[in-house]
Amino acid sequence: MSARHAIETIGLGKDYGEVRALDSLDAVVPQGAHVGVLGPNGAGKTTAMLMLATLLRPTRGIARVFEQDVVHDQTAIRRRLGLVFQETSIDGLLTVRENLQFAAGLMGLGRIAGRDAIDQALSRTGLTAHTSRPARQLSGGFRRLTDIARAIVHKPDLLLLDEPTTGLDPEHRDRVWGLIEAERRDRGVTVVFSTHYLAEAEACDFVFMLAHGRLVAADTPAALRATVGEQVVEIDGPDAERAVQTMAASGQVAMSVRTGRGWRIGVGKAHAGLAAIVGSAPCLTHVDVRDATLEDVYFARTQGVSRSRPSPASRGSQS
Amino acid sequence: MSALRTTQAIVVRDLSRAFRQRGRLFGGLARSFMWLLLVATGFGSIARVEGAASYHAFVFPGIVVMAALFGAMLTAISTVYDREFGMLRLMLASPAGVTAVLAGRAVAASAVGILHGAFVLLAAPLFIPVTASQLAGGVGALVVGAAASSVLGLLVAAPVRSVENFAAVVNVVLFPLLFLSGALYPTSTMPGWLYAAVRLNPVTYAVDLMRGALGQRAEFSIPYSLAALGVAIVVAFAAAAALFDPERRLSRAGPTPR
Repeated sequence: MSARHAIETIGLGKDYGEVRALDSLDAVVPQGAHVGVLGPNGAGKTTAMLMLATLLRPTRGIARVFEQDVVHDQTAIRRRLGLVFQETSIDGLLTVRENLQFAAGLMGLGRIAGRDAIDQALSRTGLTAHTSRPARQLSGGFRRLTDIARAIVHKPDLLLLDEPTTGLDPEHRDRVWGLIEAERRDRGVTVVFSTHYLAEAEACDFVFMLAHGRLVAADTPAALRATVGEQVVEIDGPDAERAVQTMAASGQVAMSVRTGRGWRIGVGKAHAGLAAIVGSAPCLTHVDVRDATLEDVYFARTQGVSRSRPSPASRGSQS
Repeated sequence: MSALRTTQAIVVRDLSRAFRQRGRLFGGLARSFMWLLLVATGFGSIARVEGAASYHAFVFPGIVVMAALFGAMLTAISTVYDREFGMLRLMLASPAGVTAVLAGRAVAASAVGILHGAFVLLAAPLFIPVTASQLAGGVGALVVGAAASSVLGLLVAAPVRSVENFAAVVNVVLFPLLFLSGALYPTSTMPGWLYAAVRLNPVTYAVDLMRGALGQRAEFSIPYSLAALGVAIVVAFAAAAALFDPERRLSRAGPTPR
């Protein structure tokens, strides 16, 4: 267990009665890293984050945040955490400043230290002009920025962000990520976030991909993209399946996966026989060739994964 | 020190909310006078209570406690809204932990209850003969009654999962606490099984304490009532703290994995 690790988990898991929400997560996050947690709804992302935030007790395994155990050292961990939940935790009846004063008080900051911290958080989030506005009058984007200002007001060392940009327009998404990037750059904050916008995870240092409570991939975005091929061919239409079979027979297919909008076939760059293969299946309504993305990895790794069930012995037990 | 700051932050926030919801605040203040002017006047024409100058005089201490009970409990039960809108999780994630969070909520709810009760208590000379020292004693009884009401409110809120159940909780919990407290009618002639419920009801002792403070005949001694309310506060707070444990709250939000 190294001090350079912001997070380390060994066999971390959580059951809700008969449902295994998280099977067994082994993960190491170095300090200062920018880490994305990806996966479909119900994958166990929020459960994992809540356990790291000391708000859920693991059913099995170990999780340490800055070398502190999430079960036994909750107070020490919470002091160093900044949390952003899926739903904004902002009181609509309070002004922006009052919400931050409330957050500073919750984190135990005194009046003077709290005032300085609030001014800095408002300045960093660009909310200085809105300090006196009741939060209920803010747009969704500004409410989220206030939520992030709340999460950083006590200068945390680790930010856990659960889908921080869901429902935001591109401009506010950009502001949120700019703010998070500034926290990393200026203070060396470790950032762990979950998202359904997979493009947001392309810039991560590391990505964990979960499906039905299981860890299905863990690597850098580049390494993960490489597993599906350099390029991806998207095809759809009545002859699509025949084209996929032809391509597979050529032996140069790294992955093929069917989505709601046709097939995605991962191939090596400039696949020589591509034109001929497509020509052999004349009835295609859509053909596109592009570079591989994390979304392709997502489809390739999360499809067909089933949730494991808790064993009778593990039900209700806690570490 | 950190826990105190957390508690203080919650008190300031909850009181800010209480005073900004003016309709709710004034509605709560008006509720007690509606009972005094409408319900007590109506019952006064048919009810005579032994040992009391009038039904208004008998019911007045009970209405003061009712004001505190409703003010404090409804403020505490509004924790259900905080759970629904994510604020409770934020509070429970503070380093100070659940005890400091609940203490803050209890202090704020008590303050609202005391305000509601004091508003009625100030009108005492209009309904009963009362001295300044009796009013001071009434304030003391009000503080203890409001504290007990707020902690009971937290305990009631702990298992409530959604705001849709809020009205049901008020009907099933608040009104029985009031009706079985001796606030509106004497309880000594009730059937045994009902009187047993009266004796288990903490509000009974708050009403009796207030009755004694305002110069009326009290059933229990002051130390007995104070001890009963003290036990109720400690037990309810401990139970609420156990039920508000984040693990319990979030686990029971399952089984849907997220």
